[in-house]
Amino acid sequence: MTNKLSYDIIGLALFAAVILFGVPAFFGYDGFELNTFSRYLSLAIVSMALALSWGTAGLLNLGQAATFGMGSYAMAMHLKLKASGEGLPDFMGWNNVETLPALWVPFHSLTFTLLAGLLIPAAVGGLIAIFMFRARIAGVFVAVITLAFLVAFQLLVIEQQGFTGGQNGLTGLAQLELFGWTVDIYATSFYYLVGICLMVALTVGLYLTHSKFGLILRAIREDADRTRYFGYNVANYQTVIFCISAGLAGWAGMLYALVLEFASPTYMSVSFSLAIVIWCAVGGRESVLAAAAGAILVNLAENRLSDVFVEGWHMMLGVLFLLVVMFMPRGIYGVIVDAGRALRRKGGGDAEEPAYDASLKSKQEG
Amino acid sequence: MDVVFNQVFAGLSFASILLIIALGLAIIYGTMGVINLAHGEFVMLGAYATWALQSFAGIGVVTALPLVFVAVAAVGWIIEKGIVQWLYHRPLDTILATWGIGIILQQAIRMGVGAESKFVRGPDWLSGNIEIGTLVMSNYRIFVIVFSVAVLTGTWLLMTRTEFGMKLRAVIQNRGISECYGIEAKRVYSVTFAYGAGLAGIAGALITPLFSTIPTMGTGLVVDAFLVVIAGGLGSLVGTAAAAMLIGEVTALFSIVINDTLGRIAVLAGIILLIRFRPRGLFPADTRR
Repeated sequence: MTNKLSYDIIGLALFAAVILFGVPAFFGYDGFELNTFSRYLSLAIVSMALALSWGTAGLLNLGQAATFGMGSYAMAMHLKLKASGEGLPDFMGWNNVETLPALWVPFHSLTFTLLAGLLIPAAVGGLIAIFMFRARIAGVFVAVITLAFLVAFQLLVIEQQGFTGGQNGLTGLAQLELFGWTVDIYATSFYYLVGICLMVALTVGLYLTHSKFGLILRAIREDADRTRYFGYNVANYQTVIFCISAGLAGWAGMLYALVLEFASPTYMSVSFSLAIVIWCAVGGRESVLAAAAGAILVNLAENRLSDVFVEGWHMMLGVLFLLVVMFMPRGIYGVIVDAGRALRRKGGGDAEEPAYDASLKSKQEG
Repeated sequence: MDVVFNQVFAGLSFASILLIIALGLAIIYGTMGVINLAHGEFVMLGAYATWALQSFAGIGVVTALPLVFVAVAAVGWIIEKGIVQWLYHRPLDTILATWGIGIILQQAIRMGVGAESKFVRGPDWLSGNIEIGTLVMSNYRIFVIVFSVAVLTGTWLLMTRTEFGMKLRAVIQNRGISECYGIEAKRVYSVTFAYGAGLAGIAGALITPLFSTIPTMGTGLVVDAFLVVIAGGLGSLVGTAAAAMLIGEVTALFSIVINDTLGRIAVLAGIILLIRFRPRGLFPADTRR
């Protein structure tokens, strides 16, 4: 366990070095290149958030994009209000909304927005979690309920045009002013902001997985009933991790809306939500670091491949994903861990430490 | 009032298509516990096969049905043999793998045939309408409803009156023990998967004159069909039929009371509640696992 922790800390340090020093140096501190990269970093946050609930606690949340979207809309609402000055946001005029809806009023305040982007998704995630886990819903049914919620939520956002801008989403946003600092998304400082957010999220994630809380979550993943017999309140643990995961996803959504300068209902589509699952699975769902790296790698590959193969990259993504699911069920992380274990066995003949995360594939609740 | 009757009819015709799609999905899910997210793409393949048969060979929609069934069933069989059968012990991963298959099939069609929507003509002998008072029913939609009832009956007979059906039910109840009695569960699984895929293909063929045929047409349908399966209960044909009816009708009726989107949201919310309080569906089948 301590051994494992030191590996993860080394991994985090390496990751931080690459993201905060390596990448900016590689792109020659060019703001435009770094802007695409900060998009990947914000997606890495939502991917690692999924790793917390899926990899650690075994709760496959197909509705991760819904909480991500809530965060992005919170940020976009604040910036839209700022762009509209004293008047109403333009799309409300087109939809015959006369006064600013009560839902929008508090988003004039930056503090409220930042808190809302984190806490509203967390609260929604928590409510869904309480609703599901009190009834001991598990396995596939968690996936189905969250998927149904996602579809319903996206439809609602598109339907309520006067409040949300409907299919077009929220465009024409102002620049964010953070405590007197105007955020220019094409500046290197913005890249560092997103990078530091990712590092904080990863640190939180690593802390959680290595705490006793994380240990109990893994116990629940392996056998919920047995954990219950030991006297742990399984539903509460599941609810808390669902909340945290949803909150982090909302946070990622806020950054994503900043990077792309708009919020759109496509952030809440089923295919986007499953894309998050793909990144997480490719990297390795058991480790938050691996999940974050998976998001960055897949998006990087997608960006490069779609330049070369305009039509074919989607196909390649599908094939890659299929291969990962079939042959690398634990993702890149699993391959690295297995390789490391094989090397150690060959070299020293140490006593084989029982791998706390080895039996993911042995039992999944159906 | 006539609006209501017309909506009930529209709901019925939507429900009957949903029923055929969900039936295939329910058999696959009930037998193997595989959540087949590529099922929508099987529907799409069926639609494109119908389009190809009509535009290159001049075969009408109704005549094409058996051909489409065989073709899509073959695709399903290959996919089961190649990919799905390795994942039976990892039910959550089948969701992901079949989603990947869906992406690949969709992209293959987009690259091979093109992304623009294709048009398939309905059969001429079913082109008219039947009017009873203010209720207007198109002959083709009546045909679809009758055909879906026939498919349901056929599947029921297959499950209860044939040797294969008996083996299938045995495997659903307990795979290990039925293997002890000499049933080849692997073969039953492959054939079942192929049959489910073939049904999806038929549904795809049937909707070509009603919907536009585009590569992404299956994605929306699979979510609906999947909700039907969950709501109906695992491995229960009656439950699947009832749930398809319910969801089709409720969607149609809600869309007059409120509007289309809110109707769908209400249906989704209803299904979430149903899973929460009756996780085994409306009509759970008696299975021992």
